[in-house]
Amino acid sequence: MTPNTAPSAPSAPSRRSFLASTAVAAAAVAGGMPLLAACGGSDSGSGGGTSAGKSAKKLLPAYIATNVVTPDIAAKNGSAVGFTSKLDIAALKTSVPKKLGKGGKVSIMSPFWGSPPKSDNAYYKAMNDLIGVDVEWQNQDGNTYDQKLGAVLASSDIPDVVVIPGWNMGGKIPSAIIGKFADLGPYLSGDAIKQYPNLAAIPTDAWQRSLFGGKLRGLPQPAPYVTGIVPLYRKDIFDKEGYEVPTSADEFMALCKEITNAKAKRWACLDMKWTAFQSFGVLSGSEKPLGWNLVDGKMVYRIETQEYLEALEWTRKLFAAGYVHPDARLGKSAATDPGPKFAAGEFLIYAQNISQWWSRTAEQATQNPDYKIWGMDIFGHDGGSPTLWAEQPAGIFAFVSKKASESVIRDVLAVANVTAAPYGTKEYMLTNYGVEGTHYTVKNGVPTKTDQGNNEVINAYVMVASPTATIAHPDFPEVAKAQVEWQQRMGAFTKKSSFYGMQITEPSRYTNLSNDFEQLEDDIVRGRKKISDMQQAVSDWKSKGGDQLRDWYKKLLDENGPAAS
Amino acid sequence: MSHSTVPRSGTEADTTEKTPVASGGATGSREKRPSGKVSLRLRFRRDRVLLLMTLPAVLLVLLFNYVPILGNIVAFQDYDPYISDNGIVSMLHSPWVGIENFQRVFEDSAFWDAVQNTLVLFFLQLVLYFPIPIGLALLINSVVRPRVRALSQAILYLPHFFSWVLVIAVFQQLFGGAGILSQLLRQHGYDGLDIMTDPDTFKFLITAQSVWKDAGWGIIVFLAALSSVSPDLYEAAAMDGAGRWRRMWHITLPALRPVIALLLVLRVGDALTVGFEQILLQRDAVGPGAAEVLDTFVWWNGVRNQDFGYAAAAGLIKGVVSLGLVLAANKVAHLMGEQGVYKK
Repeated sequence: MTPNTAPSAPSAPSRRSFLASTAVAAAAVAGGMPLLAACGGSDSGSGGGTSAGKSAKKLLPAYIATNVVTPDIAAKNGSAVGFTSKLDIAALKTSVPKKLGKGGKVSIMSPFWGSPPKSDNAYYKAMNDLIGVDVEWQNQDGNTYDQKLGAVLASSDIPDVVVIPGWNMGGKIPSAIIGKFADLGPYLSGDAIKQYPNLAAIPTDAWQRSLFGGKLRGLPQPAPYVTGIVPLYRKDIFDKEGYEVPTSADEFMALCKEITNAKAKRWACLDMKWTAFQSFGVLSGSEKPLGWNLVDGKMVYRIETQEYLEALEWTRKLFAAGYVHPDARLGKSAATDPGPKFAAGEFLIYAQNISQWWSRTAEQATQNPDYKIWGMDIFGHDGGSPTLWAEQPAGIFAFVSKKASESVIRDVLAVANVTAAPYGTKEYMLTNYGVEGTHYTVKNGVPTKTDQGNNEVINAYVMVASPTATIAHPDFPEVAKAQVEWQQRMGAFTKKSSFYGMQITEPSRYTNLSNDFEQLEDDIVRGRKKISDMQQAVSDWKSKGGDQLRDWYKKLLDENGPAAS
Repeated sequence: MSHSTVPRSGTEADTTEKTPVASGGATGSREKRPSGKVSLRLRFRRDRVLLLMTLPAVLLVLLFNYVPILGNIVAFQDYDPYISDNGIVSMLHSPWVGIENFQRVFEDSAFWDAVQNTLVLFFLQLVLYFPIPIGLALLINSVVRPRVRALSQAILYLPHFFSWVLVIAVFQQLFGGAGILSQLLRQHGYDGLDIMTDPDTFKFLITAQSVWKDAGWGIIVFLAALSSVSPDLYEAAAMDGAGRWRRMWHITLPALRPVIALLLVLRVGDALTVGFEQILLQRDAVGPGAAEVLDTFVWWNGVRNQDFGYAAAAGLIKGVVSLGLVLAANKVAHLMGEQGVYKK
């Protein structure tokens, strides 16, 4: 399921997991269920740990599959399920026969990529009518969400619901999650979830990830474990100019040289740091625990690896050679939507979330018929197959404030039960496309978003909870097919690091240890700091607690065993 | 701050009302005043109306400037605001760590980078920015036709009302790596210039942005001071054969001297505050090595990394140093025979 994902920063792709899921949920349950004994997961979170294991089983909701429409492409290698058929509006099913909302008011703070619409727009109204809850959105810029989150959670008055992506869970945020948000267990654990059939169809490994501090606190967005960041390129210009898609780091560099012509206002790419990490096989940076891996009996963190330095050095060369669009030097804070400049051909390649493959296509379809955005396969840096690392099976969570009354919690669950409706239902169409006739029109089984749809039906409701990872674009079936196939090809190269599938809270004395590495990466690739500065930072990191953290992770793994085989 | 509780001296601090020759007389007037011998109670009775009038302002200052100072105790804690729903309760339950945060701050090279950047920016702005509004005020003051004068004032004031986001976007369009200037250069066979992301010239860029945005607004106080100069002085000087430059040197500039001294003292007190939003927005463009100043350092560590105790320690250090600076600058002003922000 693809919300019309909006523009993100040019320099740092939002590591927003593609909202998708796995239909092979049964397999996922077996595989994703860690056989862990709860390990020191104290409620305050200061001790850290992981809350998984036998006691966790009791907390997890029952799984009841729904089979509304059989997907055209089944999930494989951690991909989403794909739908490429025409949309039959008359055949849409109803998955929420009775309004579950009790008419209460719920405020939700959520990251938002793009320009938020007015609060009284037709999409929000229609959704609220369908749910029976008056949702009030507090949309915040997704690129700088981490900068708002800490302050909001530190105040005594937090919104009823706060959506927090995994990559924003730095610093003391995990402790805030445990301290400030409600235990949803009484409403969802075991058979209690049957009241919310769409939530019951969310795969168990996604719920497993929603356990924070020994309680079920999050409403998850299931995601494919295949990396979500795709090197996207202008296929139309590539074809016209005869550019070949590169298959190694050197080829990529040579291609950039060929493309760049600053005089004509054309550069090869934006910041390709994330692609470099993938190509060089660097452990995932989207979440701290994923960055740890057991290699020959020793715990290794991503920043300690040779691959990490090599990837940074390669990216630095791209910048130094002048192949990167100058806007990408600006960084996050002053970032603007790269979409228009990409459409204007000012640069031809950028790394972003897979959802932009479709959303940029839809955006440009009417005014720019030649425009074709496509995803290139991630190349191994040496020309061989890349080594990719799995992302978590759920990366974004909605949390309910501890102060919320039972009726507010029930209303929130009513919201989630609608937004988690699977493809092929009326609720899915409303959540993802808006109101027929207002936000989209259907011609020959192809829904096309109107301007109003493009402006209003972005982010918001899709951020609360979503169905099993789904890619369905009846408007551009070839894109949906290519997206799922890309995931399946990349999935074949994807390995799982030691803490895949677990929700881990680091002890609070280590939480600020890795704060500045992302900043340092950006400084290095832009030539403001040297690789040796990174080596120095890594050795400081080790002595300031990194080595102790290594022991802590080792112990965690020894006591619990890996979640994924 | 303190002058609001002493209403009598308030009028004297209002230097804009003074005539140019009166600047030296202020220190002498205190002894002549009978109030020095009147008891505190009598003075309260006598000034009660004035005191009542200042009360709302004092309450606001207390509530928003003094009460929050108590929060500085988190600088001595490993503060975790998330352990309870109330900040004060969290403070009571957070573990005490003594001066550990301060030790960490002093050992942190990023902190010293921020101190250095802050000071360099302060001096740059003092030299390059501070004189500009004075010059502009003199220029505007010499414009005789009221319509031209009003129009040029309006144009100069306008950028002050733009937000920093807008100002930076405009600068980016003009001077960015893909901006108008760079493309023009490239089309004529030169290399493009990326002024916006060059760490070496970043401090000049910041200063230039401040000048463009706020120098016009800064002339207001100088214009007010100039308008209080009696035209008789100019006429008399002209009769005695003083030319333009002599009149400016002997009449206009002395008239501005108390205002300049006051603003300078205030500026020095604010030395460690060199523009928060403006720098935060451009921090990523040049990296923290060149752009981090004390305010963004505090913000980054406190709000972004939630290392609140640490950030509070850095903020407290900044506050103490600023207080010292303002006292020192005031002392210098007194030595120069000016009034400064408060009287001795």
